[in-house]
Amino acid sequence: MHADLSLDNSVLIRHYSSRRTTVFLVLGVLVLILGILNLMIGSISYPYADVVRALFSPFADGEINTIIWKIRLPRVLAAIMGGAYLAASGLLLQVYFRNPIVGPFILGISSGAILMVSLVMLTALGLRLTYITPFLTTIAGIVGAYAVMVVVVSIAAKVKSGATLLIVGLMMGYICSSVTAILTALAEKEKIKGFVLWELGSFSGFKWVEIWIMMGVGGLLVLAIFLLSKPLNAFLLGEDYAASMGVNIRRFRLFILLAASSLAGLVTAMAGPVAFIGLAVPHMARLSFGTSDNRILVPGACLMGAIITSLCDLIARMWLSPVELPISAITAFFGAPIVIGLLLKRGVKL
Amino acid sequence: MTVRPEMGKAEAPGAGAASPAPSPPVAPIVALLPGQGVLRVEKLTVGYKAPVLKDVSFECGAGSFISILGPNGVGKTTLLRTISRHLKPLAGKVFVLGKAIGSYRATDLARIVSVVMTDKAAPPLLQVLEFVGLGRYPHTGFMGKLTDRDLRIVTKSLADVKAEYLAGRFIDQLSDGERQKVTLARALAQEPRLMLLDEPTSHLDLKHRMEIMGILRALCRLKQLTVLAAVHDVDVAAKVSDQVLALKGGRLEKFGPPHKVLTSKFVAHLYDFEKAGYSNLLGGIEIRGDGQAGRAFVVAGEDKGAQAFRYLSKHGYRVSAGILGRTDLDSYVAGALGCEVFTPAKPGFEGAALESLRGADFVVDAVSANCPGEGAPGGAPAPDPPDPAKGEGTQGDPAAPRDGPQETLCAPNRALLQEAARLGLRVITLGPNGEISPLVDALDEMERLKRAAPMGLPPEAGGAIGPDPQDAADAGLRGA
Repeated sequence: MHADLSLDNSVLIRHYSSRRTTVFLVLGVLVLILGILNLMIGSISYPYADVVRALFSPFADGEINTIIWKIRLPRVLAAIMGGAYLAASGLLLQVYFRNPIVGPFILGISSGAILMVSLVMLTALGLRLTYITPFLTTIAGIVGAYAVMVVVVSIAAKVKSGATLLIVGLMMGYICSSVTAILTALAEKEKIKGFVLWELGSFSGFKWVEIWIMMGVGGLLVLAIFLLSKPLNAFLLGEDYAASMGVNIRRFRLFILLAASSLAGLVTAMAGPVAFIGLAVPHMARLSFGTSDNRILVPGACLMGAIITSLCDLIARMWLSPVELPISAITAFFGAPIVIGLLLKRGVKL
Repeated sequence: MTVRPEMGKAEAPGAGAASPAPSPPVAPIVALLPGQGVLRVEKLTVGYKAPVLKDVSFECGAGSFISILGPNGVGKTTLLRTISRHLKPLAGKVFVLGKAIGSYRATDLARIVSVVMTDKAAPPLLQVLEFVGLGRYPHTGFMGKLTDRDLRIVTKSLADVKAEYLAGRFIDQLSDGERQKVTLARALAQEPRLMLLDEPTSHLDLKHRMEIMGILRALCRLKQLTVLAAVHDVDVAAKVSDQVLALKGGRLEKFGPPHKVLTSKFVAHLYDFEKAGYSNLLGGIEIRGDGQAGRAFVVAGEDKGAQAFRYLSKHGYRVSAGILGRTDLDSYVAGALGCEVFTPAKPGFEGAALESLRGADFVVDAVSANCPGEGAPGGAPAPDPPDPAKGEGTQGDPAAPRDGPQETLCAPNRALLQEAARLGLRVITLGPNGEISPLVDALDEMERLKRAAPMGLPPEAGGAIGPDPQDAADAGLRGA
């Protein structure tokens, strides 16, 4: 199939770039559609026209306005951003570790975030500082994520095997979980309820201030990642190669790890642990765009992450309504078969 | 440190050895004369914490191919990584185009030096075209977009390594050889002046090994590219390099053209050969037998015995060979194999050869099928005798200068074969042109007999090898 194309490389390039444009368009439209569906569907469903009217009049009174602006829109935005950031974080980790099976959850980064958040939520640590709660949990999440990341990376530098790396991540996850479990056992009853709900993972109950934090911090990070996709591409071929191309490895490595753990920590702190998005979505993006080029994949994975997370959130809300399922239950349901399929179909090696 | 004033200017000829400036250069591209510093290494000490190599100094010019040779673990890769700035030198300096590498901006250095290490990264879903395009990294803009010019260079680089047909394939679906070609294309797309390669042909099959080396050689010649490569095949290095860096025992032992550096003796020393020999004239390595299986005398010459030497050596026989002309291919092979060789160069060689033959377990006759005359015992056929026995002289006969060795050596060889017959030694006669299947059959048979024989009494049962006259005579008859 490629034999003729290779004679004229410009044909090849055009062929691929037109495919990519199409995929971008499709994904963009899907994000919009799912967003609007999420606004329309719920315990009370509204027709499309009413939703749009409510969207354009944020300060009007009425039941529909309250529901859209106070409940559903924050949730829709949180799901979109949460999915996008987890996917970007996963993509960075996969490029950095040159391992297709890593993601924020697998490497124990999310567990580190959970541990730190539980410290804030369950102990007296957060009591005196209640007035900055959204910032505090966010910061705690990022710190926890980064701390675990540092441990994993320093061990990864000593052992070069991908399988060992995964096991280290898994073990870090266990350690963090056990500490979290101890904290939960020791905590006061009233605090436990809120923590357990958070730990199940959900995009519900987002306040607008949290949305702005996510948008600001996460948006800047994703933009920075996109702008650095050229050195990220050099990284695809290994650290040594990137260094020989003139990439400042030390600085860049720090950036990748900080950005990946910040994004994962940010989402985890606010929405609780959301499994598999960071691992599976970069692959879905890679396959649908047919490339490993990070200039395409950074925005591509973000869009794909937004779509999958929105879809999962819709299912979590509606499937067994009025019971709302934890988001991880749905994402794992989607994600795990995708990972298995990848391993089988593309012969992905650890 | 002699820092050159015109540093940084790629085309500026270094102010090194050559001074005649006004003489017109042959072509403007070849402004750097050979031996003038594309790369200059001064008293370089490399290593991680402890030094691995000390005080390495050398210089290489445009368009030259330099091989780094040395045993495993001697520091070839460490040296390359220091020159590529992956590692900081422990002492000393590296200059590229006359400028210390430390003073380059990383991207600027990447426009001059491209590096191909052994790391074989093959991310999924990355097209060869994109992969090679990554080589344009130091030349492209902030987002790394390939312009039409970049794309032309990428295509040209693929063409230079004869891999245009791979452009649309995915990198993780290539064979090792294809990937290495594409990796070379990527390094070329960088438009480097200097290419550093770490074992560019390891894990490749023979075809790709030759192809890759041929491509690199051609690039040196046509593009004035300087190649510095760690190579682990001495024979390949000898054939492709202009200069050889021989590392051993933590230092640079020799630096120079392969014909001067790679003598048999030095190669044996470099790699601590005991069971192998290198012939600089053959440009190849021969594996020596341990000599445990027995002793064989091969009556050879005119390149008819080389195959037999190798076969016997491989099967553990100690081989003596005679009478060989000094310029005979047989001599070189036998020398590399560590055989005892008898040539007419030394006086009294005939006696010595006969002496050696008497100690042999059996004799291989590689010449009768080719030699004129009927002198061979057992009446081996002599297909085309242009001139029967003549010229008993042992030295080159001026009267027959063209067929000198053949004419002169057939007589002593005949004497050897007659002696073998007299002693009743088994004689295995090879086919025309030293074809060894009779030898293969005979050795197989001996093997069988040896295995069939009870461990304790080899002389009787293993008669084919043993010196027992009765058996040996029988064996000789059979062999003839």
